[in-house]
Amino acid sequence: MIIKIKVKGIVQGVGFRPFVYRIAKKNQLRGYVKNMGNYVEIVVEGKEEDIKNFINELKNKKPPLSKIDELTIEKLHQSKKTFENFKIIKSETNEEEEEGTIPADVAICEDCLKEMFDKKDRRYRYPFIACTNCGARFTIVEKLPYDRENTSMRDFPLCNACLREYEDPMDRRFHAQATCCPACGPYVYLTDGKEVIAEKDDAVKEAVKLLEEGKILAIKGIGGTHLTCKVGDDETVLELRKRLGRESQPFAVMSKIEHIKKFAELEEDEKKALTSPRRPIVVLNKNQNYDNYFSKYVSNLDTIGVMLPYSGLHYLLFDNEIAYVMTSANLPGLPMVKDNDQILKKLNNIADYFLLHNRRIVNRCDDSVVKKVGDNIVFLRRSRGYAPEPIKINLENENTKNILCVGAELNSTACLVKKNKLYLTQHIGNTSKYETFNYLKDAISSILKLTNTNKIDAIVCDLHPHYNSTKLAEELSKSQNIDLIKIQHHFAHAYGLLGDNNFFEDAIILAMDGVGYGLDGNIWGGEVILFKNGKMERIGHLEEQYQLGGDLATKYPLRMLLSILYKAIGDDAFEYIKTYNFFSEKELNILKFQIERKINCPKTTSTGRVLDAISALLNICLKKTYDGEPSIRLEPLATQYKKNMTGEIETIPPKIKNNILNTTYLIKKSYEMLLNGENKEKIAYLAHIYIADGMFNIAKKIAKKYGIESIGITGGVAYNRIITEHIIKNAKKEGYNFLQHKRVPSGDGGISFGQGISYLLTQLFNEG
Amino acid sequence: MKITRMHGAGGKIMQDLIKNIILKNLEITSVNGGIGLESLDDSATIPIGDKEIVFTVDGHTVKPIFFPGGDIGRLAVSGTVNDLAVMGAKPLALSLSLIIPEGFNLEDLEKIIKSINETTKEAEVAIITGDTKVSDGVDDVIISTAGVGIVDRGKAIRDCGVKEGDAIIVSGNIGEHGLAILLSREGFDFETDIKSDVAPINKLIEKVLSEGIQINAMKDPTRGGLADALNEMAEKSNIGITIFEDKLPISEEVQSLCDILGLDPLTIANEGKVVMAVKKEDAERCLEILKEHPLGKNAEIIGYATKEHKGVVMETIVGRRIVDMPIGDPIPRVC
Ligand SMILES: [Fe+3]
Ligand SMILES: [Mg+2]
Ligand SMILES: [Zn+2]
Ligand SMILES: [Zn+2]
Repeated sequence: MIIKIKVKGIVQGVGFRPFVYRIAKKNQLRGYVKNMGNYVEIVVEGKEEDIKNFINELKNKKPPLSKIDELTIEKLHQSKKTFENFKIIKSETNEEEEEGTIPADVAICEDCLKEMFDKKDRRYRYPFIACTNCGARFTIVEKLPYDRENTSMRDFPLCNACLREYEDPMDRRFHAQATCCPACGPYVYLTDGKEVIAEKDDAVKEAVKLLEEGKILAIKGIGGTHLTCKVGDDETVLELRKRLGRESQPFAVMSKIEHIKKFAELEEDEKKALTSPRRPIVVLNKNQNYDNYFSKYVSNLDTIGVMLPYSGLHYLLFDNEIAYVMTSANLPGLPMVKDNDQILKKLNNIADYFLLHNRRIVNRCDDSVVKKVGDNIVFLRRSRGYAPEPIKINLENENTKNILCVGAELNSTACLVKKNKLYLTQHIGNTSKYETFNYLKDAISSILKLTNTNKIDAIVCDLHPHYNSTKLAEELSKSQNIDLIKIQHHFAHAYGLLGDNNFFEDAIILAMDGVGYGLDGNIWGGEVILFKNGKMERIGHLEEQYQLGGDLATKYPLRMLLSILYKAIGDDAFEYIKTYNFFSEKELNILKFQIERKINCPKTTSTGRVLDAISALLNICLKKTYDGEPSIRLEPLATQYKKNMTGEIETIPPKIKNNILNTTYLIKKSYEMLLNGENKEKIAYLAHIYIADGMFNIAKKIAKKYGIESIGITGGVAYNRIITEHIIKNAKKEGYNFLQHKRVPSGDGGISFGQGISYLLTQLFNEG
Repeated sequence: MKITRMHGAGGKIMQDLIKNIILKNLEITSVNGGIGLESLDDSATIPIGDKEIVFTVDGHTVKPIFFPGGDIGRLAVSGTVNDLAVMGAKPLALSLSLIIPEGFNLEDLEKIIKSINETTKEAEVAIITGDTKVSDGVDDVIISTAGVGIVDRGKAIRDCGVKEGDAIIVSGNIGEHGLAILLSREGFDFETDIKSDVAPINKLIEKVLSEGIQINAMKDPTRGGLADALNEMAEKSNIGITIFEDKLPISEEVQSLCDILGLDPLTIANEGKVVMAVKKEDAERCLEILKEHPLGKNAEIIGYATKEHKGVVMETIVGRRIVDMPIGDPIPRVC
């Protein structure tokens, strides 16, 4: 008997073919296995029973990192010429356009780690050690199929010893595309920007010494570059902040698993995320001993972003230090630097020393970030370790179109929809910047290339007329004559939530964030959306407030406070704002003129802006230096209050009229409490609860009216544990099914995914 | 769909209206191979013999009609004269069409006409024909002026001629007209020196041309401000323009007021400025010539044309920003 098997899924670069070889041999089968660029083809000849056994093992004993999405079996006619043995045949690219898959990067595995620290091993302390189960993938690949000659490892021809391993089907480096050794592979070197100080292991050892001395190092890694320094020394951390111009945004740190409980709380699912081969940064709660180890300048929140070492080099850095600051080496809003000349040029005034290596990074990929909210681990950023793995959705109809979704503007990603799979790009960033916008274009072309996509049938973009992504979509649509669909920002969030959960039934979705262009030309951001019969409808929202000075109000949250307080108490608001000593007399006069005449005062229903106003009121943050800062720094106060709270407390009953939550009342109440000497933690907590209760009550009312059983939350505010967990509590108490993000970010990094889902659902419901 | 205020604010929405409703439905739009309506340049031309007649029309409404630095009369003359001048033409004559609301103050009308007279003397153009209507259908006086100028055949300067390497020069401080109008309309009663820059700039441009400076493209940055003019020039010339934030001529007062109101001076209207793309080698000399004239004393080389990117990109201290085509009122985009 002879059969042909096609396997689709994650079957490249994960040791799949050697595995096939081994089980074929074991079952006395002859034939071949071949990488077809986007799937693996297997032909086996032998006894029926052996083949059955073979297929069983194929399904059940596959390598840990592989994933089978589709397996088709076809019986072939017995030809005269039969196979003599079983072979792994060289890759072939299939011309036929079908989806291929490039695996995401994988952290160094236990076996390689053991070898790296084994004095007798020929890869002792060799940082680029890798095998079929670990190492760089997406970040080094140029095109399909995932074979060495299509990656930046092609610059390093294998030595005889490595070649033997590579060609030996029984070796764990058999066809490991990234394998190498000190004799043939890349190497690291240390420079001060002028000359090379040390090479190879000396460079690593010297770097560790410099770090311990308090120097700031730029370390080129897998998908980009980190700026690194020790965590315990105020002076060093402050120096890094000064050089980066990064006032208060927390730094992520790298630490080893055995250290983490010394300074942070670690729940079981957080530990699982932390130790997974994808190695994201996990945002953990600090514990009471945190301050013993960390400078207060590392993170001014009650949380700390932690990741484990994920490359051999990282492991070699740890000696005496409990943790290192490991922050992406980029200037605010710009892509992380990845090429050696750029690292030296752009970080010239930031790093003291540079630990570089001579392997090219093909695809830049920032670290992923996750955080536990409610019972879920959610993505703040989905990038290294995940991209470009597709997210599958279960729709009855198989989509036949290729759809390009360009996302929003901040924390941007793009997404390619192919069949019922959504390929999200790595994290791109703020595309209002020229360099970052170019990065978006590059990421789009590489995702098209890595999926063998030559034709786009439709483009989806945001409704915001100023987004560069919108303009890119318009240009592509015009120049290539492709359909263009514009999707309202919060509808995209809501669609994304449905797709993330594979839930396509009626639901009420709370879409809460900072900014999205609304269907009415105003700014939205606190929306109650009804999804019914395949249609999205805005049915409730936060009260409209004037954003005093447009984007300036986002930068200076006191403007938001002034604007809302003016609505609540009139001219007295100006007298009160004076007490912050933030605006000059002249500025206040002009602000009064501006607010009375409504000059550059767009209307907004944003949740972010209301939280900003509270943050300013409590004097927590008067100037935003990173996205969401005022509300992010407000949350720990509410958390503190909640921790110390005994029993139920009296909340502010939300004022709702026509499904609109009165936020002027909230600000007025908070202001009065503050004047009455109420403590800030309590005010912060009550404000969070007011918004959570208010939004939930609107959702509940609509849900009852339409007999809907599911409520969900999406948008950047979904990262706020106080608000989200309170809404979840309400929803569970009332027996609602609750939807939360799991596979894509709640924030704008998930917009491109939502745009894709919107296209698929709109098509589906239009046809049906 | 109804026409909204946004359609009249300059920028992209207005361009779409013009392209999709007006241009699409008009078939005869040029004469003798001259520059026609479809090029949406500042003026059109009619080639005759070894000359081209340059022709344009502009309707003016403004609130308030008298404002710091000028009035609707001065604006009506300058707007049209400047549209001719930025074609490299010598303005000759204007028409004057008045639509006056019932109940309009006679003294005010006379003041406006006197201002028109002063401005035509400054520009050295004649008003040679006119029309006057009184209407109960308008709120305020509307003044339309058509203008005729002349240029040597083939010598008209377009807005689509920017070449790689050209220096981009603006003739003075930006943002003053739009801001002055806004402040006086809204009754800003604090001390300020912000005045409209409204002025005919034909003499300034003639001076530059007479000295043999090679200007490859030229435009007056009116509605939509410098951002609009640069974007249009870049798009029509199929080239990129890089500008430097620290080179933009902006008065301290305009800048500080914009900083408080959250407005972008790049998007605010000017009525006495010209932006030119000048051959690199001529740039410094052009700047000197401009600076000698009172209307060009704050001129600056603000950037250059490049093939490295499309559109308009501004170098700032925090990296490069893409300068959009404005769409009327600013819309928040920051999270
Ligand atoms: Fe959003
Ligand atoms: Mg014009
Ligand atoms: Zn390994
Ligand atoms: Zn080797």
